[in-house]
Amino acid sequence: MRRTALAAAALLAASGPAPAHTVIDGVGGFPGGLLHPLLVPAHALLLMTLGLLAGRESTQCRMLVLLFALALVAAVALIAAAVAGNTQAAILWLCAVGGALLALGWPLPAVLAAALVATGAVALMLDSVPAVLSVQETLSALGGTAISAFALFTLFAAFSARATRPWQQIGRRIVGSWAAASAILVLALRFVT
Amino acid sequence: MRLAVLIALMLAAAAPAAAHTGHGLAGGFTGGFLHPLFGLDHVVAMVAVGLWGAFLGAPAIFILPIVFPLVMAFGGVLGILGIPLPGVEFGIAVSAVVLGLMVALAARPHLAVAALLVGLFAIFHGHAHGAELPDGADALAYSLGFVIATGLLHLAGIGFGWLAQWPQGRMAVRAAGSAIALAGLVFLGRLI
Repeated sequence: MRRTALAAAALLAASGPAPAHTVIDGVGGFPGGLLHPLLVPAHALLLMTLGLLAGRESTQCRMLVLLFALALVAAVALIAAAVAGNTQAAILWLCAVGGALLALGWPLPAVLAAALVATGAVALMLDSVPAVLSVQETLSALGGTAISAFALFTLFAAFSARATRPWQQIGRRIVGSWAAASAILVLALRFVT
Repeated sequence: MRLAVLIALMLAAAAPAAAHTGHGLAGGFTGGFLHPLFGLDHVVAMVAVGLWGAFLGAPAIFILPIVFPLVMAFGGVLGILGIPLPGVEFGIAVSAVVLGLMVALAARPHLAVAALLVGLFAIFHGHAHGAELPDGADALAYSLGFVIATGLLHLAGIGFGWLAQWPQGRMAVRAAGSAIALAGLVFLGRLI
């Protein structure tokens, strides 16, 4: 335990700032893709918001996790078919809407929850295409991103599904409120720049 | 104990998160997190919201920290879009006076009245901070830091307000409310 703690502390002490969406020195391809959702604040916020939302819908949770995985695969197929687009605004909108729905605490219609989750997966992947020319490296990075995104989404969904106590549900609503407020502020910035 | 040591080491070793672009302290999570903490008028008003929640009881104590950030974001949008709001600084100073008095008097108005009052002040606070939001690719990290810091100030107030369930604690909370109201008067005096 002591050695593990010291090793973890030493690793953290050695770590530097994380410049996401730019080339990370020495980290590209699959490992770079794996790190991508963790390093881009909007992506991490989207995965947290949608994951918490999916976990809250207890009867649909497993279906939503499966749908998220399928949408990630579909998005990779779309990118392979040369479909491209700037989805940064869509990601922020999804954070804002998802966060507001979490804050409200109302149960979601299955169709709306499915639409949010699927759209979120596709938007995230389209915004994660690396700026490299090699098809192999692009697909490798996208594979890493898809795995990482799925793992994070599932983790938040599982965490949320177990949050059944009143204070835990209030905490989830507060987190949703914070996510929505942050996304709304940044969306407003887009109108003036 | 070991966990505490590990957490302390992690915090000491943490580097600033400069994701997307490297605008440094002003553009990232740290800048956003520290921004509301360095404005005393903002700090005392946010703590007062939490303290008041202790007297208002459930469901207000739970609703305030959920609704406040959303209303504050609305004010922030007005500030970002450059839509003028008269007397922003005056409104912020008054918020400290009024919210402090509510705590000092242990006032328990109807939930709708309390929500309206807090919501109104949230717009002033949001407007002031929205106008100062830095433009940049990592504006989201800044906004997250700013919103989370504000939320934690509420939670700090709620935590301190928890003492109000005991007679001595109730006195301490009301005294804190009086101090906040007095601080608000000082802020007002500087503006006039």
